[in-house]
Amino acid sequence: MAQLPALVDGVERLTDMMQAPPDAFVQARGIGKRFGALTALRDVDIDIRAGEVLALLGDNGAGKTTFVKVLAGAHVPSDGTLRIGGDTVRFASPRDAADHGVATIYQELALSENLKVAENIFLGHELVRPVLGVPFLDRAAMRARVRVLLGELDAHIPDIEAPVGSLSGGQRQAVAIARALNLDARLIIMDEPTAALAVAETRKVLNLTRRLAESGRAVVIVSHNIADVFEVADRMIVFRRGRKIAERKRAETDPDEIVALITGAHPDARVADQP
Amino acid sequence: MDDQSGVGRDLTLAAACVAAVFLFALLSPAFGTAGNAATVLRNGYELWLIALGMTLLMAMGAIDVSVGAVMGVTAILTGQALLADLPLGVVMLVGPAAGAMLGLCAGAVVVWGRIPAIVATLGLFGVFRMLIFLVLGGQWLSGLPADLTRVVDWRAAGVPAGLLIVALAYGAAWVFLRRTTYGPHLLAIGFDEDRARLMGLAVTRVRLATFAASGALCGLAGVFYIAIYRNVSMTIGADIALEAVAAVILGGTPIFGGRISLVGTVLGVLLLRILQNGLLLIGVPSLWQTVVTGALLLGVLSAEVVLRRARTGAA
Repeated sequence: MAQLPALVDGVERLTDMMQAPPDAFVQARGIGKRFGALTALRDVDIDIRAGEVLALLGDNGAGKTTFVKVLAGAHVPSDGTLRIGGDTVRFASPRDAADHGVATIYQELALSENLKVAENIFLGHELVRPVLGVPFLDRAAMRARVRVLLGELDAHIPDIEAPVGSLSGGQRQAVAIARALNLDARLIIMDEPTAALAVAETRKVLNLTRRLAESGRAVVIVSHNIADVFEVADRMIVFRRGRKIAERKRAETDPDEIVALITGAHPDARVADQP
Repeated sequence: MDDQSGVGRDLTLAAACVAAVFLFALLSPAFGTAGNAATVLRNGYELWLIALGMTLLMAMGAIDVSVGAVMGVTAILTGQALLADLPLGVVMLVGPAAGAMLGLCAGAVVVWGRIPAIVATLGLFGVFRMLIFLVLGGQWLSGLPADLTRVVDWRAAGVPAGLLIVALAYGAAWVFLRRTTYGPHLLAIGFDEDRARLMGLAVTRVRLATFAASGALCGLAGVFYIAIYRNVSMTIGADIALEAVAAVILGGTPIFGGRISLVGTVLGVLLLRILQNGLLLIGVPSLWQTVVTGALLLGVLSAEVVLRRARTGAA
């Protein structure tokens, strides 16, 4: 009998797949990643669609961060193929990923805190007017664009000349998101976006996350906070021991089931426990 | 990029320079003359140039302790170019070009060898010193013509050309730091190299370029050395790495990078040279000069630790 829910789930997933639009922005197939003898990721298939927020869940070391780093160009996968926007890609660096419209906002690592707001938003992608090949900064144009971006995000940052290190956690997330928007990102990956944020700031960041999806971008969030995930995500994928063990739409699951999947108490989680 | 505390540091240093000038002028009648002021500035040329490169490297979280040997090698090359009667324009380019190559070597070892900059450049220091020994063969390079000396000491409206070249180098660095992508990229790497890479910066290129620029400045310092002293001894540049690091730290560019102060470095070099000149004129043996440099460095670093503890303790 234990196989029955798995079977039902399998059929559901099959119908989901058939209903799913064929043009998911990201199509990851059979992604694996080994570090020497350690297998961090095994045979992961994931579709990420424009206009939705996808949450990646799992315990520490379950593989969600490794998968995100593959998407972000920080890890080259050992197996599998990655298609983004219809092209098969092989990212050698985060810069490659950025050039394909993938922006990643790492927890605590997204910004250079010694630099100003505008410098962070444009770092590596500055607006320049080259003179004899020397990339002179077009500072007026960048300041104007920063005001537009922060205005769109409804982010209240009083002094855009201030170093990012002097901003609150929520303001930093807004700057990091403005940076992703400025890069014209079509997939925005947020690693623990609400960790270390005050309640009111968490609310703002979650609203921002929804708005990004509603504007037609694909959004992936990695989070330990089940309440935040249920508030913002359309779909959830649970990782365990380097495998994807479950995929659920928000309307078809509840926090208890997700927690059971993460901790291994759920029958579906046993897939990952086989050798 | 310079924050409030940086400005405070500049003012403190400027005040220290002024105080030292008054003190030495009281103690020695020879100190407060126009001629001696010109000498202090002229003695600062090489250190200003080398410390400028060191400032860029340290803002990036790197360091180069082989700078003295690079100045030595390039000074010898410049001297030999001078003896070979090459056109003066070419003679002046030999040093910076060779320095840039040596700086690039150091950068390559650090970047691709993944060796910490202080270790890599300490190793290269030994190699370059051996080069100096092999070329000089235990002799001095001396009896050089005064052609370069005339260039450096030529005055435009009373300002020596040497000082103008130094000012031009700092001005160019300021423009690159404040008006081009180089400044934010350098400081982002200095703040956190891995993070800069994740943010998509061409970290390797910026690091190599900075090592090369520092090498070129050491090469220019080698040209100035020949112009001013017209000889090269085996011990050329033995202490200048310590002096440069001291001047940069005095100036407020932290040793772990992420922040930069060009004004601070200018004043740090000036303070060192005023102290060295003043102490010599009041009769302190020149052996004590490195002690003064070292003591100043230790004093400033320990004062910072104490201040930081006081601040975090209060917070």
